[in-house]
Amino acid sequence: MRLGLVLGLVVLAGALLPLGLPRYLLTVLTEGLIFGLFAMSLDLMVGYTRLYSFGHAAAYGLGAYSAALILTHLHWPLPIALVLAVLTTLLVAIPIAWVCTKSTGVSFAMLTLAFAQLGYAMLFRFKEVTGGSDGIDGVPRPAGPFGIDWFQGETGYFYLVLFCLVGSYLLSRAIVRSPFGAVLAGIRENEAKARSLGYNTRAYKMTTVVLAYGFGGLAGALYAPFAGFASPELFFWLVSGRVLIMVIVGGAGTLIGPIFGGAFFLFLEHQLSEITDLWPLIFGSLFIGFVLLAPQGIFGIVAGRLRRKERRAPGGGEEAPDAAA
Amino acid sequence: MPLLELKGLSRRFGALVAVDAVDMGIEAGEIRAVIGPNGAGKSTLFNLITGLFRPSAGAVYFAGAEITGLPAHQIAGYGIARTFQLTHLFPQLTARENVRIAAQARDKGRWQLLGGGGVLARTAALADEALERMRLSPLADRPAALLSHGDQRLLEVAMAIAQKPRLLMLDEPTQGLSIEETDHAVDNLKAALAGGELTMILVEHDMEVVFKLADNITVLHRGHVIADGPAAAVRADPVVQRAYLGGAE
Repeated sequence: MRLGLVLGLVVLAGALLPLGLPRYLLTVLTEGLIFGLFAMSLDLMVGYTRLYSFGHAAAYGLGAYSAALILTHLHWPLPIALVLAVLTTLLVAIPIAWVCTKSTGVSFAMLTLAFAQLGYAMLFRFKEVTGGSDGIDGVPRPAGPFGIDWFQGETGYFYLVLFCLVGSYLLSRAIVRSPFGAVLAGIRENEAKARSLGYNTRAYKMTTVVLAYGFGGLAGALYAPFAGFASPELFFWLVSGRVLIMVIVGGAGTLIGPIFGGAFFLFLEHQLSEITDLWPLIFGSLFIGFVLLAPQGIFGIVAGRLRRKERRAPGGGEEAPDAAA
Repeated sequence: MPLLELKGLSRRFGALVAVDAVDMGIEAGEIRAVIGPNGAGKSTLFNLITGLFRPSAGAVYFAGAEITGLPAHQIAGYGIARTFQLTHLFPQLTARENVRIAAQARDKGRWQLLGGGGVLARTAALADEALERMRLSPLADRPAALLSHGDQRLLEVAMAIAQKPRLLMLDEPTQGLSIEETDHAVDNLKAALAGGELTMILVEHDMEVVFKLADNITVLHRGHVIADGPAAAVRADPVVQRAYLGGAE
């Protein structure tokens, strides 16, 4: 109940923001939300299933390049291109998930990394399609269907991103609270036990990876027309590392934490990189600080405070402890 | 026809033959104890039946169907539930959620990705029933990691019972329990078994527990079955006395 209220206020504030923001900040905020969505998609794997991916850039890059190719070559309406880009990412994710879930732990992380680097290498191998190191430039935001064009301007695009983010969040939240989501918690806690209870844990893990790729693909697909280009860097392992850090700092296993983690760190990066070249140093120090002092992340601290308050209030809060685990 | 039938079941680990050509039949409704000294192959036998290990030779039949070498989750799908010698739980989840996830594994809606309130509600009801049977209801909302060792052992049994299994396999349910905890556990197990509809195989070191619960006893020694039969007869068997009970009783 209270969480819903807070969320509603955040969304409302987000919806009103463009009215009073300078154009530059609006752009940064839009990119922040896109990265927030990207981080949230990884949280399904990292926070809920303990599947540490070090190659989630593959999802971002796949979505971005799919959208960029559809938009520049076919000029199909942006919403349709987004849907198709997500479907493409989901489809490519199936064999990737199949291979990666053959292993666990560090080798799982290495396999996801290998696939992202494979995508990176393929961009240079198929230059004619992908533009090689130049990437794809001048990605448009074609209007339609039915003549819808409100998303073409910067403010409109911000709303489109906000809409996709809120929709994806609600969908992910329903997934982690479903019977399927409960099994993910079981796999996270003790996979051998889940298997011996009768769950085909690999099938659950595969599904989770594919879903995470789908949401990550949507983030990438939103990025290409936002930035106007798709470049090989989107597939690069630095992107995978950064998003993993944002999930952990934001609060793995909360969905909302990584959204704020992603948005917050992107914003910080923009601000700091203007002041000093040393911002990666600050970024790194912050990460170390969080891992050592607040392993449950930003949202973990906030949620912990809220829950303690609710417990003190009579008759308050019957939040299941597993929801925050 | 026995519910569970083992034919020449063997498992080698390198030069060691942990389980050697074991033949065994468990009738529906029977409570069978498998006893034997450490290293006799009891846990390996469990792992062979439940698909954690693949047999080197031999076959496992359940309700007439061959299940030899199937993956663990498929064997569980036949209605075989087990507990482990070392407690296997979901430590951060509540006791109720532990049991509920176990019950959900037998529910058609276990794959439901969205919604699923109905599945969650009916499996929660099964969980509460199983917790009640093991007298764990007061602890339902506590994370499994915070339960005492004895209650954790009982919780794992509750998880198995909540699956309404056709065959229940308990690997040393009283392992590591104090005398009072063991009595408590045995009482609860007896109560849970009272209906008589459950078939159970039990690995146990505590002979008192064995004689309180089991109808029949199989004695394993170095991977072989050296005795097999009604509890009283096995207790009196001189071979068993020598090999295991040590004639002390």
